[in-house]
Amino acid sequence: MEKRFELTASSEVLSPFRKELRQILNQAGWEKKTAEEILLAADEALTNIIRHAYEGKPGTMTVSVLTDEEKIEIVLEDRGKKFDPTRVPSPELPRHQPGGLGIHFIRTIMDQMIYDDQGPAGNRLRLIKHKKKSEKGR
Amino acid sequence: MKIRSANQGDIQTLELSGELDYHSSPELREKLTELTAKQAPKILVDLGGVEYMDSSGIATFVEAFQKAKRYQGRLVLAALTTTVRGVFEIAKLDSIFEIAPTVAEGAERLGAKV
Repeated sequence: MEKRFELTASSEVLSPFRKELRQILNQAGWEKKTAEEILLAADEALTNIIRHAYEGKPGTMTVSVLTDEEKIEIVLEDRGKKFDPTRVPSPELPRHQPGGLGIHFIRTIMDQMIYDDQGPAGNRLRLIKHKKKSEKGR
Repeated sequence: MKIRSANQGDIQTLELSGELDYHSSPELREKLTELTAKQAPKILVDLGGVEYMDSSGIATFVEAFQKAKRYQGRLVLAALTTTVRGVFEIAKLDSIFEIAPTVAEGAERLGAKV
């Protein structure tokens, strides 16, 4: 199954998007705990686009969600400033200062975080997670 | 996100409900900044109604915690849902914050008479 979302790069879209993604994850048979974690990873990636790629300026974000028996792949695309989260070093934990945890969350939760260079402008980030045995065939 | 403020003796309580993310965390930050600016000695945050929290929520609490620490104030987080607790665990912050299983226990830890 594939579903595509065209979103405005604004924090107001986060909650409605999570609602849609939660539904997709439930239908695809993910356990609640893992589903909530995947939601968090996607939310952090979108927040990074709003904050770092568009720096709060208007823009659009496209999210494609691909699910099958084995895995979920979430592809996030934007036309904002270059921002490669895979190059951000892992923070030392626990952090005693606010911030810097979003990318750590994505790395911890997802099996793969792949950044595709989109040429002169924009970013494309792919987040992949494989199902556990107990989640397959549900 | 809804925030309800209350007083219980010298304990300032914030009861949160809804989702705490990049969109809603500025409102919470404002409330916590108000409390830490007037050096509220004991702050109790009831997270029982929070179904979702992201790193913006965590950052808001880390900031308030650091500010309170500077004036020897205390910040206790109470009644975390499994989802929210999981976020603190991924951030390895569950050992840094004072976390109480229930609001009553949180208040007790802050010296409230029960």
